[in-house]
Amino acid sequence: MTLGPTHHNIAEVLEDSLFPEVDIALRQGRHIHRGETDRYAFLCEANDYLEKWYRRYCCDLVRTADGYFYLLPQQEKIRKRQLSVAEMLTGKVLALLYLEPATVQAGGVVHRTQAIQSLATLVGQENLMLRFNPRRKRRDEGKEQEQVRDEFGRALRALGELGFLDRVDEDHVRLQPPILRFVESVRGADDVQEALREMIRVGKAAPGQPMDDGDGTGFTEETEATQSHEDAP
Amino acid sequence: MLDVHRVIGSLQQQRAGFSLDTTELCFLVMLRVRGESAALSDFTEDLLYDVFAMVCETTEPDAQNVRKRATHAIQRLREQRLLARVDGAGIVRAGDFTLTTLADAIVTYYLHEEQLTRESLAALTGALRSHLTEVLQRAHSALIPADWQQHVLAPLRHSVRDLVSGIERRQRGMDAQQEEVQQRISELLQRDWFQALDKCESLLEETTVTLQELGEILLRDLGHLQAQLTEIESLAMEASERESEEAAQALAEQVDRVLAWGASRQRVWSEYYQFVQSYLRNVVRLDPERALSQRLRDQIKQLWHAPYSLIVAETAPLRILREDTEVVDRPPVFRPRELRDRPPEPAVADRRWEEMEKSVEGALKAGVPTLHELLERLLPDVPPAERFLWTGRIAARAAQYVCSDEVRDRSFVPLSGEARRCGSDGLILTIQDWKLSGRRP
Repeated sequence: MTLGPTHHNIAEVLEDSLFPEVDIALRQGRHIHRGETDRYAFLCEANDYLEKWYRRYCCDLVRTADGYFYLLPQQEKIRKRQLSVAEMLTGKVLALLYLEPATVQAGGVVHRTQAIQSLATLVGQENLMLRFNPRRKRRDEGKEQEQVRDEFGRALRALGELGFLDRVDEDHVRLQPPILRFVESVRGADDVQEALREMIRVGKAAPGQPMDDGDGTGFTEETEATQSHEDAP
Repeated sequence: MLDVHRVIGSLQQQRAGFSLDTTELCFLVMLRVRGESAALSDFTEDLLYDVFAMVCETTEPDAQNVRKRATHAIQRLREQRLLARVDGAGIVRAGDFTLTTLADAIVTYYLHEEQLTRESLAALTGALRSHLTEVLQRAHSALIPADWQQHVLAPLRHSVRDLVSGIERRQRGMDAQQEEVQQRISELLQRDWFQALDKCESLLEETTVTLQELGEILLRDLGHLQAQLTEIESLAMEASERESEEAAQALAEQVDRVLAWGASRQRVWSEYYQFVQSYLRNVVRLDPERALSQRLRDQIKQLWHAPYSLIVAETAPLRILREDTEVVDRPPVFRPRELRDRPPEPAVADRRWEEMEKSVEGALKAGVPTLHELLERLLPDVPPAERFLWTGRIAARAAQYVCSDEVRDRSFVPLSGEARRCGSDGLILTIQDWKLSGRRP
């Protein structure tokens, strides 16, 4: 026996008791995945109507093959933002951990320490401190390391609010399928740069300013100059 | 009642502890298997040596002096109460040995007999139900305390509790099995990646089916067992059989724990199942060459050269408007300054005083005898409103020019004629009259 569609028009979708919470979550940038059973089922069922609905707000309701939905604003009718450098780095490293078979054993649960260690290994501790502390002129290593940990914690919280992960306890997070959005640019075997350009073209990503590789003082001075200019009234 | 502090104290005093190496453990397992297969109730000393040598060939093929090692191993096992000599012949002849309950428990664990299979759980719950039905019948027909003790309390404390404990032990086996499956899936993916897909899926399905069946049995049978235990508890309460009531209550709590375990494992496994299914579908199937991780790793390292950020929707921050406040224009504070040099202003000179002085002088020279007469002569030229003031001035001036008489009693007399009017309300000017005589020296 197959069940017929629950909604037959947009009015029925909007009257559904789930619509307000799903709508608010999507507008807040949340990615809704299969684990959120009711919301995901609602979105799957009402996808056709909601796609048209959100298009009126100049937004795309994106449904991915990895099993999650998110709202992609194309104009400013619904506000949009770019993820910060810390959020991007943290997200990418968590995506890398998600791909590791060792994470499968724990059901997608990773330790914070494991994540920050992977980040430091891949990016380099010195480099990481430069990226996460661009304003600091005088460099106190202890304070900068603390700043990196704080930034990392903030990034984790932000990614959690966006539905990329769930907090299990103080030290553990459970990675969710939307974390694979950070892998999108390297999914295909083709040119990564080309894939990135395509993502930027369709509005899924925005380009950032190239920075030097963190081995000299150029980055710091340049960034500080920019920052002080931005801070000026 | 069990005094746990006493037990711990006793263990500490005895310095109780275990130390088993792999060969010794395998030796115990092999003994148990041999005993079961040959239906042996005990083992001769020779058999122990043979079994040890056999095990040693597998675990330590290069070992020397196997018999000597066996002697030491048997001695250690006896000291740790894992092997017991049962013949009691001492040095008269070679002994007969048996595995202690402790050794039996250890071997049982390693032989995976504690695995909670559908069959074993069904058998256990079935046995429990029949036991409890019988206990319930006895509880209904119990008339005297001895009936309760013998037919209700004793079975509840021993046979029924053993069966429930048996289920709990097997749960721990099931937990270990789940952990092993998770580890195997992870290892398979690590080693074979795409080729391991089918094996992983079948492992996942097997465990899921087992858990589902177990869950169904637990829900169906344990619910019934709980109802039976509650009824026994009520009967014991009515009969004021406190011990039986407590025993039934304790068993009901144990059954509750078993049920909670089942629900918890279902939930945890469900989360794990979803995660692995998603992983196999979205990661392994889409990346058979396992190149994704490497590409992502490279991208993270090179992110500085071509940085980008993902775009997400964002709600506008809540805008709170401030109250419109009245802006007060406060002038700057400064010290008031006065001009020291003022320009000259034209003014009309008041000569009345000089003129009046001349008139007074003239009148006195002319010989005016009294102040009364002097005032009547001069005041008509002064406006009525100022006459009071000028009266005083004229009197003062006159006093400077002339001497007054010595008479003390001077009478007050009103002025007459035009000079008498003073002010605007028709007041009459009255003065103390002086006689003016001679010039002042």
